[in-house]
Amino acid sequence: MANDWQPGIEQLPDFERLFDEHQSMVFSLALGMTGDRGLAEEIAQDVFMELDRNIAKIESPEHACFWLRRVAISRSTDALRRRRTRGFGLWVEIEENHGAQAEERSSPLGDRIDCLLATLPEAQRAAIVLRYQEDLTPEEIAATLGAPLATVKSQLQRGLKLLRTKAESQLKEYIRAV
Amino acid sequence: MPFDDFESELRESLRRRPAPASLKRKVMDRRAQNRGQIQSIRSAARRRNRMVWLERIAASLVLAGVAGSAVVGHYAVERRKGEEAKQQVFTALRITNHAFQVMNDRLQQQDKDSH
Repeated sequence: MANDWQPGIEQLPDFERLFDEHQSMVFSLALGMTGDRGLAEEIAQDVFMELDRNIAKIESPEHACFWLRRVAISRSTDALRRRRTRGFGLWVEIEENHGAQAEERSSPLGDRIDCLLATLPEAQRAAIVLRYQEDLTPEEIAATLGAPLATVKSQLQRGLKLLRTKAESQLKEYIRAV
Repeated sequence: MPFDDFESELRESLRRRPAPASLKRKVMDRRAQNRGQIQSIRSAARRRNRMVWLERIAASLVLAGVAGSAVVGHYAVERRKGEEAKQQVFTALRITNHAFQVMNDRLQQQDKDSH
């Protein structure tokens, strides 16, 4: 797509093409953030509707990717906050959703990482999802989240540490159960 | 403990998943629905704009008519006043003429009497 995107020429990027190219990324970011396939699909819909409204502002394929990541994380955070204020039992839903996908996973640790991820604070979760799903550098994560680099680095370290600790205790329980 | 490769497990666990097949259809449906709503809003706005312009044109015509008739009325009043003034001047001239005539007759009468 980068080849036929000609900046400076009055031509809007093709929405359907952007959708096909980025749907998996947007859905996976929302899924990583919320841990809920249904909610992730709703968030992905909202993100692409917002892209449709703002498509004239998209300057390049890189900008589209950056914009979609940023909006997907932001919408996911909003959805989680809304859900928390409505008092949904997120844990129950996460357990159910991930139980359905358990057969896709190869290791017992992998099965539980998603559930553990959902227990992290939103900022740490966003940083970790962008780091390990999208393979972004801390600088790119800081730009995407609009946060200082030092904050992002600290969120990554703390999130990873917390996740390791939780995963360790979960795995011990799992081994005991097996 | 298999935590040496914890980050690779994390990366594997967070790998991109394919979006549900229904996502594209839902987004395209919502997009088409939005387009339809936007079009109907735009056509309603166009109709409203057209009505506003028609109202403006009608108001301008009424104003022009009122202003025109006021100007015509004003000229008619001025002309009438001019006519009245002209008549008054003529009346004054007639009275003056009559007075001169009377005076002239008396003077002629006095001349006759003196001869």
